[in-house]
Amino acid sequence: MSNSVISVISRFLEEYTTTTPNKLKVVDSYLFYILLTGALQFLYCLLVGTFPFNSFLSGFISCVGAFILGVCLRIQINPQNKGDFLSISPERAFADFLFAHTVLHLVVMNFIG
Amino acid sequence: VIPLTCLLRSASAGLFGLFVLSLALAGAQALTPAHYLSLPDVARLQNLLSQQFTGLDSAYYSVVGLSKLGATIPDHEGVCQFLKSQLDPMSIDSLFFAAETSQAISGCEIPVSNETRDILLAAVSEDSTMTQIHRAVSALSSLGLPLASQEVVGALTGRINKEDNVMAGGGVQGTAARLSQQTELGGILEEIEDLTARLDDLGGIYLQFEEGLEATALFVTAAYSLSDHVDMEPPLKEDQVIQLVNSIFSKKSWDSLAEAFSVASAAAALSNNRFHVPVIVSALGPATVSHSQPTLQLLVTDVMSQPLALANVLVESAYSVASKSVILSHASFTLNDGVFELNFMSSRPASGYYQFAVAVTGDTRLVGNHVELKVKVSTEVVVNNMDLSVVDKDQSIGTKTTRVDYPSKGKSSFTADSHQNFAMAFQLVDVNTGVELTPHQTFVKLHNQKTGQEVVFVAEPDSKNLYKFELDIGERKSEFNSISGTYSLHLIVGDATLENPILWNVADVVLKFVDEEAPVAIQPKTLYVPKPEIQHLFREPEKKPPTVVSNTFTALILSPLLLLLILWLKLGANISNFSFTPSTILFHVGHAAMLGLMYVYWTHLNMFQTLKYLAIIGSVTFLAGNRMLAQIAVKRIAAEQSSRLAKYRSLR
Repeated sequence: MSNSVISVISRFLEEYTTTTPNKLKVVDSYLFYILLTGALQFLYCLLVGTFPFNSFLSGFISCVGAFILGVCLRIQINPQNKGDFLSISPERAFADFLFAHTVLHLVVMNFIG
Repeated sequence: VIPLTCLLRSASAGLFGLFVLSLALAGAQALTPAHYLSLPDVARLQNLLSQQFTGLDSAYYSVVGLSKLGATIPDHEGVCQFLKSQLDPMSIDSLFFAAETSQAISGCEIPVSNETRDILLAAVSEDSTMTQIHRAVSALSSLGLPLASQEVVGALTGRINKEDNVMAGGGVQGTAARLSQQTELGGILEEIEDLTARLDDLGGIYLQFEEGLEATALFVTAAYSLSDHVDMEPPLKEDQVIQLVNSIFSKKSWDSLAEAFSVASAAAALSNNRFHVPVIVSALGPATVSHSQPTLQLLVTDVMSQPLALANVLVESAYSVASKSVILSHASFTLNDGVFELNFMSSRPASGYYQFAVAVTGDTRLVGNHVELKVKVSTEVVVNNMDLSVVDKDQSIGTKTTRVDYPSKGKSSFTADSHQNFAMAFQLVDVNTGVELTPHQTFVKLHNQKTGQEVVFVAEPDSKNLYKFELDIGERKSEFNSISGTYSLHLIVGDATLENPILWNVADVVLKFVDEEAPVAIQPKTLYVPKPEIQHLFREPEKKPPTVVSNTFTALILSPLLLLLILWLKLGANISNFSFTPSTILFHVGHAAMLGLMYVYWTHLNMFQTLKYLAIIGSVTFLAGNRMLAQIAVKRIAAEQSSRLAKYRSLR
């Protein structure tokens, strides 16, 4: 059983490293970073406590929001999805990404206290 | 569509109806004088007017004032000598005072020369003040010198136009009253009517000129002297006369001799003129009747407290305030030694308050002669059938009723404990009529002789006017503080209409309570002693984790950033494509500024300021970024095109 899981994972990793363009790998590593940061914040909250709760929420939401926006960007700039996003060029996707982040940061900063 | 005229007509009809109704209501409550000169007031006024003379004017005020009040003036000779010695034959005022005062005392002749007469006659002209004209004419008339009435009228008419105040009006009237009967005074009388319109109505009770008491009083005096002279009613309505009476006689201490003189003159004028005589009706002593005092006594006088010569006093109706039933109708008072008496008790009224409507008749001049009076009928009360008993709550033991007769005390004391009720029943009866009474105050008081504590209860009558009081010992123990012992029982009866309030020690009661506390002396209530201080507990700050833990986790959270940089380097991410165009630089600077603004927002600013700065920086960044991304897009498309072209060429 575990053998098949390991083989699936190794196959996946191999495919990933060979077929994914570099640009997407850059975005993926950014997403991984965001994920780690959010997980660590959650761990702190579990271990030490929720005080101050508003700060925890704002930090955690910031990570979650950034992750989601990053995923959106990755979907939109993926050349394989070009057919779904005919009117949206990669530059446009990046501009939307930046604008959404501005709004997210404004809200997070307001809530961080 | 309702025509406007129809609307207006209905509105005016409604208003008219309201006006008539208000008039009717106003007329229903006839105004009666609230102030007058009582006998002490008259004495005080006479006292003030009897002071030593300081000059001719004070002599005039004193002597003439006292004569108007009907008082005797002592030492006529001395007064006459004083007048002659102080007289200045050249001064009109001096002549006026001397002449008028000499008329008030007997046997005093002021010597008059031709010069004097000429001076006085010369003063009667349009160019003199009204006061001067009045004094000159009065002096001429009092000294018996001839005067031309027509000339005087001419001077007065001319002067009225120039001097339009109240004192002048009084002067005009006073002067006109001295002229001969045949003089044509129509124009002057009209002017007087205009002046009376200037009286100020204060609250419907007072009517006076704004110039004050003296002006009002002098005006009233002059008005009545003129009306008597021409035999025409003064232009004052009855209610106005009463309001004037209230104004003039409300002040009971007078500032100056002139003011006192004006009040005395007004009092004399209002008691003795041909048209209006205000009537004062007052009860002699308190308006109370009882069996010992069955007659209601009334004093009916004029404003100076002099009894009226011809007057008949009768009660139009008398009704009970409580039951509104009419007891008396059209009963006359009998005059007995200056006091009007009526035996009210002969109508057998029950005790309580009665509203009398009294009318004074006999003289058509009487004003304010319908008076409302509240009369109290009081009586004596006696306690009958006082029965005391101790009843067991479960009614197993029969009740033993003890009768106690007022005013003696019960021989044996009663004992009751928490299982029993103490009961009391009695009747309160009018001594004279035998009718049951329900006075306002019927209390039962229990007084602990040892501790001094008093507990008071109210006894209530039942439907048959039989008073019952029941004390549930067990239930009421908190009122007694559960202190057992001997209590003396008192009955307290009182009312405004009772002449003999009762405080009767009925019996002694021994009360036994179950949980007895140690008998403590009555402590004064600790209501006004400072209370213990409240310590405010401030909100405790939340427990924070130690700094070490926080710092560790901060480092931990920043570590993925390091990982990200490493990953990017490994992937070969670079900035080799960075073109140093102005839009690119501007975009990156603007973007960095926006992130910096976020930090500043966290530390210093509020949302409004941030939004303002964000708008500015954001629009700059947007424009630059747009340009930059467009350039990148162009480059990308060109690269794609060339690669496609190369692929196409290689395929061929």
